[in-house]
This record gives sequence, structure tokens and C-alpha cells, in this order.
Amino acid sequence: MIKRLLHISAVAAIATLAAQDATAQTRAVAIRNATLVPVTAPRIERGTIILRGGKIEALGANVVVPSDATIVDGTGLFVYPGLIDAGTNLGLTEIGSVPGGEDTREIGDFNPQNVILTAVNPHSELIPVTRVDGVTTAVTNAEGGLVSGAAALIDLNGWTATDMAVVPRVAMVVNFPSANPGGFGGFGGGGQQRSAAERRETMNRQVRQLYQFFEDAKAYADIHSRAQGLKSDQKFEALIPFVRGELPVIVDAASADQIRGAIAFADSLKLKIIIRGARDAWQLAETLATKKIPVIVGPLTQAPANDEPYDLVYANPGVLAGAGVQIAFQSSDASNSRTLPYHAALASAYGLNSDEALRAVTINPARMFGVADKYGSLEVGKVANVFLTTGDPLDVRTHVRHVFIRGDSIPFTDRHTMLYEKFRARPKKP
Amino acid sequence: MRAFLQTTLAVFSSFSLAAQTPTPPAQPANNGPLGVPIPPAGTLVAITNATILTASHGTIQRGTILIRDGKIAAVGTDVQVPPGAKIIDANGKFVTPGIIDAHSHSAAEAINEGTQSITAQVRIQDVLRQDGTSLYRQLAGGTTTLNILHGSANTIGGQNAVVKLRYGLPVDSMLFDGAPPGIKFALGENVRQTTRPTPTRYPRTRMGVEDVLRDAFTRAREYQAEWKKYDAAKAAFDKAKQRGAVAPVPPTRDLQLDALVEVLEGKRLVHCHSYRADEILMMLRVAKDFGFRVASFQHVLEGYKVADELAAAGSGGSTFADNWAYKLEAWDAIPHNAALMAERGVVVSINSDSDERARRLYQEAAKAIKYGGASEETALRMITLNAAMQLGIDKRVGSIEVGKDADIAIFNGHPFAPASRVEMTLIDGRVFFDRATAPTLEWLIQRMKGRPRVTSEDAR
Repeated sequence: MIKRLLHISAVAAIATLAAQDATAQTRAVAIRNATLVPVTAPRIERGTIILRGGKIEALGANVVVPSDATIVDGTGLFVYPGLIDAGTNLGLTEIGSVPGGEDTREIGDFNPQNVILTAVNPHSELIPVTRVDGVTTAVTNAEGGLVSGAAALIDLNGWTATDMAVVPRVAMVVNFPSANPGGFGGFGGGGQQRSAAERRETMNRQVRQLYQFFEDAKAYADIHSRAQGLKSDQKFEALIPFVRGELPVIVDAASADQIRGAIAFADSLKLKIIIRGARDAWQLAETLATKKIPVIVGPLTQAPANDEPYDLVYANPGVLAGAGVQIAFQSSDASNSRTLPYHAALASAYGLNSDEALRAVTINPARMFGVADKYGSLEVGKVANVFLTTGDPLDVRTHVRHVFIRGDSIPFTDRHTMLYEKFRARPKKP
Repeated sequence: MRAFLQTTLAVFSSFSLAAQTPTPPAQPANNGPLGVPIPPAGTLVAITNATILTASHGTIQRGTILIRDGKIAAVGTDVQVPPGAKIIDANGKFVTPGIIDAHSHSAAEAINEGTQSITAQVRIQDVLRQDGTSLYRQLAGGTTTLNILHGSANTIGGQNAVVKLRYGLPVDSMLFDGAPPGIKFALGENVRQTTRPTPTRYPRTRMGVEDVLRDAFTRAREYQAEWKKYDAAKAAFDKAKQRGAVAPVPPTRDLQLDALVEVLEGKRLVHCHSYRADEILMMLRVAKDFGFRVASFQHVLEGYKVADELAAAGSGGSTFADNWAYKLEAWDAIPHNAALMAERGVVVSINSDSDERARRLYQEAAKAIKYGGASEETALRMITLNAAMQLGIDKRVGSIEVGKDADIAIFNGHPFAPASRVEMTLIDGRVFFDRATAPTLEWLIQRMKGRPRVTSEDAR
């Protein structure tokens, strides 16, 4: 049935990983007779792709297979570039309700200095579950406060968090203040109810603080570039490439007010921003397109408000892409980061072009995060993050058969397959 | 009870899936909360040229479904469409049974009377409300029937309400006439109040949960015996009609124990929130000892570990497609749960437990194919026929078969395909959702630009 379940033992898996680490630099992998879907170029029927040294060495319909290559028969299969989740907490959380495993929220409103890789657990049980569904790369970040810290771009394989890192500080994460009532008063909850006026006042204060903080950081960067021997400030130091517009700032903003505020914030401080969440971005599609502000949408698994169109959340990405906005998807989840392509599928059912939906989980996020020269498509010289499927990765029915991260074959053993195999083999009582 | 309120119903000129302008009603329209007209009942309807996924008898290509008086009158490739029937041309479309969500908390003003361990006397039916447009959005995802359950705050919760999403009609007329009554039980972390710094209530442990159950059913049995004794004495008294004899005094009516006696007598279905295999086995032992069947284990995330025991007890499993790791008791949850339970003989459904997820249960069901290799028909049954079986309404709904209620979803492609969406949803043969006239984002944007309504179908 599912071929991937044939490799079982964890010991074997570890051995495989070690062996591959040693050989990946030398021996090639040749995936033959597969349909290659490069994303940035037309698909290639009955094609071959060669992986070597963690990179894509060659691909095409008439590629000579090196004599030393390990052959993977791709007959009937499709080869895609690894999917990129543009927003998750992978590595920072394990079991939601167990506080000991949570490193997602720091105390305080301004934490740009925090090094997220320090808290990424490379051996989280959530990671193997995610990558065997084709998500090979992720933007993982902490949340909370006004400046949550820098997000890291990581590949979902490695012995250490440093191994996994593609770009350790790929973007700064800012939560744009909102006057919407936050939190949930549901089961076991029940926070303090605040009046609309109080919420607005808090929002205004937070916006002022946010501006002030970034203006101070700009001043700090300016002074420190001109003078020697000044005392350093960890928070401002960490913000320098972001306030200079060299690296992007992800602004989490859902409502139209927040998005407008985020755009004004970026204009005022000359920041390079990416709007994320962006539930109401359809209202500002033309502005976002004109200003060339990329948008990360999702999760699409949210219901609209009572007075909104029933398909608002699903249709939002299609409206944005249609207006010329560059979009990517995020799961905004750790345990179900693997469902990333299904967010894109929902959007494709409600107006997003299917090819654009695929780009929005591959090349588009690579472009937003400045790694399009190495990630996001099947091209010679790019990092060998590829996966083999029985069909369209946006189709839930599709099975993933092989995953390669930096050219290493990823074992299909994870917490879920091991429990599945164990209990599937439970003897029936006579 | 409800007898569809036929007053001044706005009338659709036709039911074509293509764009159209509804004929202006002669009298003020009886509009639902969205301004969408409430569809008429009792019309003769034919859905033609459809790929019909029956959920019970495979797939019919280019088939017709004839609907008369809200029931499916004929299904097949050689159905004669009588003159006068409203035609829904489903050429290129896929038709499935209306989706049944076996675990919902929609349309309820409150769901947790969690102050006591046992609240079998409270009823969801008493707190139903229209609930904004959430029900409409679920209809727009092809969902037609909900099992609205009490929450999981306590071991024995309140009584459920099974409803059809007749959006726009008064809430009372949504109740699924003839659905067996049910009740919510709950085990595990929620009942034990593990997330509360200071738990306020017994039980605190899984041992206490079992004790609450056994104690409750012991009292219910004794109460049942008291009534039996009284009924016998009353019958004897009535028969003898002895002058001067003193009529027997009835026991004090106890609404809580009444509901539990109904469980003991098999008249009320138990839907039991559960996570771990051990607590599932405990519940099965208690049920066996007191002689009742648990109709469905809800969530049942470790059901795959004890699938044989569930199958042997005749208990269904109603689970999430792939939720896990959100709490400790969900740490051994695997997405293969649904397929593996089904493989070992359990009647399995996939539920939402969420107003949001209930809008895309078809995508959730497809995960049983991906994880564990269920067939497409098996996966479809997990959101239709199997859910109906768990709720005891499978003679009425859950598949496209002659004689069943005409609860139907029409998709623009295969329901499990990535770019598919629901175009139309019918309940009792009445079109309660039609994307061609629904308030969509596309429509809103056109309206904001001052343009008349044009649908994407026209644009092509």
C-alpha cells in the first residue's frame, strides 16, 4: 500500500541518515523516468534529475546518468521542489498543553535580539511528520509581543539547529497592534473584557511604541556607523539590517486597519515589509501590488465574520494574486505544518490559479526571503530539496514516495508511521 | 413538530447552475438572514447529467436523480424526467450525499453545563439559535446535518440535538424529525479539569471518572426499578378498582435519571468524548456491565489501538482527520486513525467539532485516503453514511438511494480534488445554498465597484 512504510526501524533510519551524510557529498542520486515539475519552467515528461553534493546537478529529458549514481525509479511519479511553509513554530513547540515544551513566547514587547535557533529543537517529533509530506523548508518564528524576534529559515533535517539553518535571521517578526478584542473567553478561559475605547487606547500606545522603537534603532544604526567605542544595545544591534531595509520585516496583520497601519509604518521608516496573515488584504490588493509588498496568506482554516461573504478567507489569495501581488502560504501551525499545500488547495477552489497556488508554496516564498537563487524550484545548482509524489501535491489524495533534503534521502519513519505500523500489526484475538 | 412553514416563499425561476437573475417575487420575499430566499418545498426536481457518488452503491456516470416531495424517487442512468420537473443540469459536476457532521457545537447558545459531574437533564434543543451566518457557511461546504453535542466539561453531559441546516427557517424547524435522542459523555483531560490551576469538581483522575459513571448508572438502575415497581402496582390498582384502596404513590420524577434510564433501555444514544485507549476500554467495560451500547466514541484519537474492541462492541468511532499534539492525550494521535479503525471493522466518521472545519469536511475525509489508504468510497462514507449510522439516521440520510431524504451536495469537480468547491446544497430537495446567487467575495468586490453581478461562469 504505502511504500514509505516499508522502512520501519528507527535504528535503521539513523544509520541511513549517518551514511547519507557521509556519502551525499560524493555519490549522486539519479531520479529517472519521472515527470519533473520545475515550477519556474515547463514540466518535463520522462525526465531525469541528478542530485549530488546536496545540489541539483542536472535535470532534463536527455540527461546522462552518472555511473556512480544511486538510481531512483520515478516511473509514474512526479518530482517537485520541496514546499516552503512561510510561517510556523516548528521546533519551538511540542505538545501544546505542556508548558515545559513551549518556547514560542518570550516575556516583553520587544525581543528582536532573541536568537530563535537557540530554541529550535532539531529532534522535535513534529519535524519528521512534516517533511514526509513534502514540506522541506520553513520560516519558523516566535510570536507574541510587538517585536517577537527574528524568524529563521530552516531545512527540516539536520543533527543540530545550526545544521538546519538556511538563513538564521531571515526576517524580523512584528505584530501590528490591533483594537480587536483579543483572546478567547471559551472553555476554561474568560479574560478581562475591555471596552472598545480602552482597546483603541492600548492600540494607539502600542503603535507609538513600535514607531519609537524602530526610530531609535534607526538612530542607533546611524550613530554606530559613524562613531567608534559607543556602548552597544543588543536589541538595537539586532535590528540594524532590518531598519536599513536590507532584510525584510514580516508584519503580522489581519484586518484592513492593521494592514493599512503596517503599510504606513513601512513607508515612514523605509522598511522592506512582508504582510502576513492578511485576512482582509483583498481590500488593499491594488495598493499592495503597486507598492510591491509581498503577502503571506493563511491559515485559510478560519471562518469569516457574520457579515462577510462566506468564501472570503478562501477567495482572498486569488484576489491578491489576480491583482499582481506576490503571495505565499503559511500554515501558522507546528503540528500541522504538513497541511500547507491544502491551504493553497482551498484557495485554488475559490479563484486562485492552480499554477500560482503551487508557486505560492515554492518559488514565491523563496523570493520573498531572498533565497530564490537556491530554493523554490528545480534548477541546476539549486539546493537538492525535492520530493516525489503520485500526483499534484495540492491534492490530499496524493501520496509522497520519496523526499530529499540537501540531497539526503529522508527516511519515512516518524512518530505516526511507527504507531501506525505497530498497531496495524496488533494480533487479532481469536 | 415542524411541517415546513410554507408562507410567502420566494420562488426561484429555475435551478440552473449557470448564472441567472432570480425572478422578482410577486409578494415580499420571505428571505433568510442573508437576504437569500427560502426555497419552496415539495417541488419535483431532477438533477441530470451528474457524476453521482452514491456512498452506498458506487459511482453512477451521467446519472439522474429525481426528487419528489423531498425524497429521492429515482436514481440512475435511465431515469425518465417527468414534465414540469425543475431541472438542475449537473453536467461536469459531482453529486454526493449531503455531508453529515457527527460532532458539532454550532447553533447553540451554550454548550457546557459543567458545574456538576452529571448534567444529563440539560438539553441542547432548549438553547438552539440561528447563530449568525455560521450555519450558512457550513451549508456552503455541502454540510446538511449536524449532531450538536453538549461540551466535554463533565463526565455525563447534556442531551444532543440532531438538526438539518434548513438555514433561514425558524430554529425549531431545523430539528431532524425522528432522529434518535442522544447524550454526550466525556472522559480524559477536559473532565479532569487538567488545565485549571485549581480544579473545582470531582473527578480529578481517570479513576474518578469511572466512579462517576458507575455511581450514576447504579442510581439509574435503582430509579428504573422503583418506577417498574410503581408501574406494576399502579396497573394492579387500576385493574382491581377496589373501593377504598389507596393508589400507589409514584417515585419522585428525576429528569437526570430519566435520561440515564433511556440509555439503559437503548432509547438514547451515547456519544462519548474520549482520547486514550485505556479510557475507551473503561467506558466499554462500564457499558457492558450496565447493558448498553456506546453508539459512538468521539475524537477517539487512540481508537486505532483498540479498534478490535470497538468493533466487537458495535461502537462507532468519530474522529478528526489529522489533529494531534495539541495536548498530552493527543500525543499518540495519528492521521491513519480513521483508515485503520475502518480496516479493522469499526464504523468510522470524520467530524469537525468546529464551525470552521465543518465547511470543508470533504477535504478532511480525503486524508483517510492519504493516510492509511482508504478507498474513495470509504472516505466519502466517513462524512456521510457512516456518520448517519452512528446517529441512527441511516435509513433517512447518508447516501443517494431511492426513498432517502434528498439531502445532496453538488461539487464543481470531484469532492476530494484540490480545486473543487460546492456549487449547490439541497436539503429535502430544496436548494438551501446556490453559489450562483450566494453572497461571494467576488460579488462583493463587483458591488463595491458599482458593477452588476457577473459570476465566473459568465466570464468564461
